[in-house]
Amino acid sequence: MSSHYEAPIREPLVIGEKSYHDISVDVGAPVLGKASKSWWIVFTIALIAFLWGLGCIIYTISTGIGVWGLNKTIGWAWDITNFVWWVGIGHAGTLISAVLLLFRQKWRMAVNRSAEAMTIFAVVQAGLFPIIHMGRPWLAYWVLPIPNQFGSLWVNFNSPLLWDVFAISTYLSVSLVFWWTGLLPDFAMIRDRTTSPFQKKMYGILSFGWSGRVKDWQRFEEVSLVLAGLATPLVLSVHTIVSFDFATSVVPGWHSTIFPPYFVAGAIFSGFAMVQTLLIVMRKVSNLESYITVLHIEYMNKVILLTGGIVTVAYITEYFIGWYSGVPYENYTYLSFGAATGPYWWAFWALITCNLIVPLTLWVKKLRRNIAWTFFVALVINIGMWFERFDIIVVNISKDRLPSSWAMFQPTFVDIGTFIGTIGFFFVLFLLYARTFPVIAQAEVKTILKSSGESFKRLRAEHGDHVGHVEQYPASGGPATNVEEKKSELDLDSDKTIGNEDALIDSETKREQIDAMLIRIGSYDPEVNSPDDLKKINGVGPVMEQKLHQMGIYTFDQVSNMTDEDYDLLDSIIGEFTGKAKREDWAGQAQKLKNN
Amino acid sequence: MASNKKYWKSVEELNKNSSIVEKLQQNEFVEEIPTDEFLGDKEALSSSSTTRRDFLKYVGFTTAAASLAACEGPVIKSIPYVIQPDEIVPGIANYYATTMADGFDFANVLVKTREGRPIKIERNTLSPNEGSVNGRVYASVLSMYDKNRLQAPLVNGKEVLWDEFDTNVAQKMNEMSGKDVVLLTQTFASPSTSKLIKEFTAKYPNVRHVIYDTVSSSEALDAFQNKYGTRTLPDYDFSKAEVIVSVGADFLGDWQGGGYDAGYSKSRVPSTSTGSVGKMSRHIQFEANMTLSGANADKRILATPSQQMQILKALTGGSTADLPSNIAEAVESAKSQLQKAGNKGVVITGLPNVDAQTKALDYNANSVVLDSDKPKMTRKGSNAEVKRVMEGVVSGSIKGLITVGVDPVYSFPKNKEFTEGYKKLEMSMAFSMHKDATASLAQLVAATPHYLESWGDAQIKKGTFSLIQPTIRPLFNTRQFQDCLLQWTGNSKKYYDYIKESWSSILGGSSWGQALHDGFYVSNAEVEMDETPMTEGEGSMESMTANGALSSTSQDGGMELTLYTMTGMGDGRQANNPWLQEFPDPITRTSWDNYITMSAADASDLDIVNENVSNGALNGSYVNVKVGDAEVKNIPVIIQPGQAKGSIGLALGYGKREGLQKEMQTGVNAFELYQDFSSVQKVSIEKASGMHEFACVQLQSTMVGRGDDIIKETTLEIFNTKDKEHWNSVPITDYDHSEISVRERNADLWATFDDSIGPHFNLSIDLNACTGCGACIIACHAENNVPVVGKEEVRKFRDMHWLRVDRYYSSADTFKQEIEDLETLPAFDLYEKVELPYQENPEVAFQPVMCQHCNHAPCETVCPVAATSHGRQGQNQMAYNRCVGTRYCANNCPYKVRRFNWFLYNENDEFDYHMNNDLGRMVLNPDVVVRSRGVMEKCSMCIQITQKTILDAKRDGRAIKDGEFHTACSSACSSGAMVFGDVNDKDSEILKVKNDDRMYHLLENIGTKPNVMYQVKVKNTTES
Repeated sequence: MSSHYEAPIREPLVIGEKSYHDISVDVGAPVLGKASKSWWIVFTIALIAFLWGLGCIIYTISTGIGVWGLNKTIGWAWDITNFVWWVGIGHAGTLISAVLLLFRQKWRMAVNRSAEAMTIFAVVQAGLFPIIHMGRPWLAYWVLPIPNQFGSLWVNFNSPLLWDVFAISTYLSVSLVFWWTGLLPDFAMIRDRTTSPFQKKMYGILSFGWSGRVKDWQRFEEVSLVLAGLATPLVLSVHTIVSFDFATSVVPGWHSTIFPPYFVAGAIFSGFAMVQTLLIVMRKVSNLESYITVLHIEYMNKVILLTGGIVTVAYITEYFIGWYSGVPYENYTYLSFGAATGPYWWAFWALITCNLIVPLTLWVKKLRRNIAWTFFVALVINIGMWFERFDIIVVNISKDRLPSSWAMFQPTFVDIGTFIGTIGFFFVLFLLYARTFPVIAQAEVKTILKSSGESFKRLRAEHGDHVGHVEQYPASGGPATNVEEKKSELDLDSDKTIGNEDALIDSETKREQIDAMLIRIGSYDPEVNSPDDLKKINGVGPVMEQKLHQMGIYTFDQVSNMTDEDYDLLDSIIGEFTGKAKREDWAGQAQKLKNN
Repeated sequence: MASNKKYWKSVEELNKNSSIVEKLQQNEFVEEIPTDEFLGDKEALSSSSTTRRDFLKYVGFTTAAASLAACEGPVIKSIPYVIQPDEIVPGIANYYATTMADGFDFANVLVKTREGRPIKIERNTLSPNEGSVNGRVYASVLSMYDKNRLQAPLVNGKEVLWDEFDTNVAQKMNEMSGKDVVLLTQTFASPSTSKLIKEFTAKYPNVRHVIYDTVSSSEALDAFQNKYGTRTLPDYDFSKAEVIVSVGADFLGDWQGGGYDAGYSKSRVPSTSTGSVGKMSRHIQFEANMTLSGANADKRILATPSQQMQILKALTGGSTADLPSNIAEAVESAKSQLQKAGNKGVVITGLPNVDAQTKALDYNANSVVLDSDKPKMTRKGSNAEVKRVMEGVVSGSIKGLITVGVDPVYSFPKNKEFTEGYKKLEMSMAFSMHKDATASLAQLVAATPHYLESWGDAQIKKGTFSLIQPTIRPLFNTRQFQDCLLQWTGNSKKYYDYIKESWSSILGGSSWGQALHDGFYVSNAEVEMDETPMTEGEGSMESMTANGALSSTSQDGGMELTLYTMTGMGDGRQANNPWLQEFPDPITRTSWDNYITMSAADASDLDIVNENVSNGALNGSYVNVKVGDAEVKNIPVIIQPGQAKGSIGLALGYGKREGLQKEMQTGVNAFELYQDFSSVQKVSIEKASGMHEFACVQLQSTMVGRGDDIIKETTLEIFNTKDKEHWNSVPITDYDHSEISVRERNADLWATFDDSIGPHFNLSIDLNACTGCGACIIACHAENNVPVVGKEEVRKFRDMHWLRVDRYYSSADTFKQEIEDLETLPAFDLYEKVELPYQENPEVAFQPVMCQHCNHAPCETVCPVAATSHGRQGQNQMAYNRCVGTRYCANNCPYKVRRFNWFLYNENDEFDYHMNNDLGRMVLNPDVVVRSRGVMEKCSMCIQITQKTILDAKRDGRAIKDGEFHTACSSACSSGAMVFGDVNDKDSEILKVKNDDRMYHLLENIGTKPNVMYQVKVKNTTES
């Protein structure tokens, strides 16, 4: 299996001396290990925020939208601001997983899983708002084109809100399917590595019976490509349609043809900022620094720079067109009133500072690669993008055409509580995800390990591009065929034991026990010995044979030396055929076979 | 306590040796119950058809049935007629003509009743007084369904029966015999009541009758009486006027009883129908407060009351020497214009000064506008007499006081002394609908019915006799004043018969039935009215006037206060009416309050601020105001553009506390400053701490240079000399590289609706005729069950008015200048120049705005569930049932006329207004649904009325006549500003105005193609 060539001067995407096994271990660790104290603290805070928000939502629904700060002029404020903000955040995931997949951007592999998770959780938050902002949310299903008992009543296909319904639900479902598809091999990895029967069961279900056959992989690749093709237009369509809520209206400041591209760019801008915010924390907490490297952060910063630039151009264009159109209302919205000087000057300047000025620092390579600064910029962008939506929605409708109806908006504690609640809800979901899902697409990362892994790059530098050295790598052949090379040449595993580096053995004690067993029954040296067909033993099938191989048992000789003690160990490790070996007297059978 | 009684259950127990008794002590039954025989026999059991499951079913069923039977069915409070009355058909409204005459408002009205409930007041268009129907009259129907009304007579605070009350009164009257008792009443203007009071005072000679108008017109009455001999008010017909010069007279408000807007509006519409030059009257207003009249004037000159006195003198022949140059100039110009107009010019004044009133009367003596032959009878009170009563009670010389329809404890200026004196009276009796300030102190309180529950008559204007007839049985145990008098004078007649009898001379043989049907009767019969009290000499009246506020021009640091009545509240007798409380004042657009209006210059001197908090709501500083010894503390201030420097204004009628629901106890009692019953006072003023929260519905006061799209205005000169394109150009848009009018088909993005079948409704609003009085708002409230939301919600800009009257101030001298200012604004300048109103003396414009019923409605396209859609007859319709409440339609509405139900406004204790009690809900119009929480609502163009018109015509098999269609607002508009009709009717009035040169649409450049149109406002700026 040779690998895709990557120029040695390119920075590695996986740093450190990582083997395939290490990747499995590192990615599986947060799921299989215990939650840290800090996880519990953060989770508790998020949960409290979520419950508080839930209380606010219940209060709203039971009392009326009047508990928000809206009025007859300003019919939307925080509700739709939050909606657009969350939808925007949900944009990075699909862009990373779909568009970058099509463009063969390998660096996406380390971040796509979390970005997609973030997308889905953000879209869930976003989807809440259009429902709870309704005066009669219990009738929310009326916006669906479903046959109803009211006769011929049907939805209004002219309404951008209806398009939203379709756009958001399509986006959510495609994202979910895409995400899940990518998760299948990784769920299977956890299923195979876990020792808890419950987890094994659950991940068995979640992985849809992934077996790792070539056919599985082939279908996996095909589906991924098809879904990427499907999802790519969605990246553009969702926020385009969200922007239609405003662009197709007659409100000065909303009615703007630049909105679709501007909203999409803004969404990717804010989405990447949120990915940065989350991953910078996660790589630290989950010890994933080797996989989510400064290089990844820099790449994402570059996307932020690009989309931020588009957004800036859009702002300037809006001001220019405001002036150029000569329409007094446009003029009024963009040129004076100041968004900049009026009562909402703070929202305006928050937007300009956060979205235009602060991101400019990322032009400096040093700052772009500075994790702390990146984190700060990402937070600032998240805030700035919220203000951008607030500016568009509230500031524009607060001063509409008829001055007699001008009004202003002040949030109530319910507005604020609901928003905080969704942030809490988002983090509750994300933290649960970080504990139960493989947060890095390990199966995909493994595919680039040899081309972009640091150690392999070094090997390449040492050995040239001749692939011979790669063949010596243990994992490239059968599990144990090149144990010695591995030992002597790579010295990746300081342990003297052989052939037990795979998923079956995950604890040191077991490893020691197996070592002790191999000393008792004799070890296998491929230089000297040749493996026997263990399947000849009654009760050993191909799976069991594989498992025995994993423990370092290859010959009848070894099996024939097994005692009750070894059988117990076997049972405890394999766990599936308790007492089977003893009942069927594998040692006796092996003795016979050995002698044949 | 031990007892040796022995109780026994049966005689058997008495037999000591009975085995049965012994056995029963051990066992429940004497004989063994043969359970085994039944249960033990398996065969019998298995042959039984009742299985265990069946048994459980029976148990279940009986339990369920028993518990269901225990539930009480809902009580529906509907009781069918035992004998159906002929005239009441469920679902069909009956109309009765009657007359409102509560002492402040006098109007001939029609009452719409449904299933026996009066639900709406309409104008009686037959009546010659039709113009006098204002918002308060429309709202009066709700005052009847007021749960705070007195429900029975009270003796010393306890509810009694009328018999007992009568006994108490008789006893008291006998006790009082020989002592001075005053019968203090409102102006009834009622021939029958006058007669009756005379009979009463004849029986009790110690009782004398004094008429008290809460808001006095005494000086005008004095002047008229001096000149013409009767104590009445002159009537003016402004439709005949060419030049109107008003010196401090708010004749579009409540000046001398009000009701002049209809005539005024007629003279204000420049007619071009004949193709000849358009003519309209010229209106010059000298005033201190910003009033409705001033806001409508062609020219408004600021003058404090003391300056007004000089102006009036100068206008009527005096010199202008002492006046500031700008005023002097205006006076000279006004004089020459008056001269030119000859007998079509008129000078009126609101100064509380007999001399001033006389001067105006003298000036107008030959004017065709003044009608002195048929004067108005709606005010009668004499300040001097009322003052004597007040002082008599304070000093103790008056021993008894009977008040009818007035509340002197609340409204007398010497409030504290009078209250003390009143408490000490030997006899105090109040006729009142509420337990108001006076009634709560009175020994005897007679609960009176509302006018819709009473009989009566009134002579509003000499020669026009009106009848008051009940439209519903009295809701409570009330008896009207006249019936009481009949009872107490030993007359066995009912008041109905009494009126009928006294009307025989008026009718002179004509049909009583017809008069009752019409609600009025025009007759030349001379009917004796209330005795005319002799006025004092003019000199003494002069001296009484307001610590010399009018005679002195010297500035001693004080301010000149002009007390006025607000358009919504009047003199405050309907203070418990939530419609009126929530009615935004046409000028300040503030509801639920009264306040000092002050000029910006004075405000900055006193360090008084108005500011908008973060949700845009208005806050204002407080001041303490002092007149002599009287001081009112903590009056909030609104900085009023166009308020004359050195003057302030304050509305009477607020600050009531007694007999009012808590929410309605708004404002401060300005009557304490109403010294000597003069509306002009010299006051000293100081800032007080704290900020007041106003419920002001309009945050932005100017049109920010958008006049051409919102309120088009031009001058009479341009209107007459230039092309229509010059002063009413249609907005243009680009099509195929050329500019076309937005009314052209090619400018249209959408397919048009087919509106050729059936009626297509349009509504036209003539901005020249509209005075901004807001009567349409109340009529709309009543017709469409518009909820009242309360002060806090109004403050948050959540008023539910389907129809609002926008008021704009110009940011420069004129609106025209404002537009120019915007156009010439340097590129990087702030828009403040056009955003802030010109504080000194801005131009004012009013614009009623309701749903514009666009043919291309922006709201219709955006509703995801199609809850709002276009109707065949041009309306934009709202299906409340379908609405899920996304509010997208409201955001997308350029006119901002959609109203959202933020909360549940009916049957909700948080909104404890009329919709929260069974009594108040009786006013609801059953033809219009009460909206639930979470749905959008808005003007429906009164579809329930138009449909009824169509169906009526259909049933009669006839075509609909022009003028038959109307909406609540158009029929409420007495000034004729609103015209409603079917544009598919080629001969209709509405089609005529639609094709008028002055027609334009609000924000026409958006291309919404509204079915509501406006007529360009024309101002007569001719200076000479």
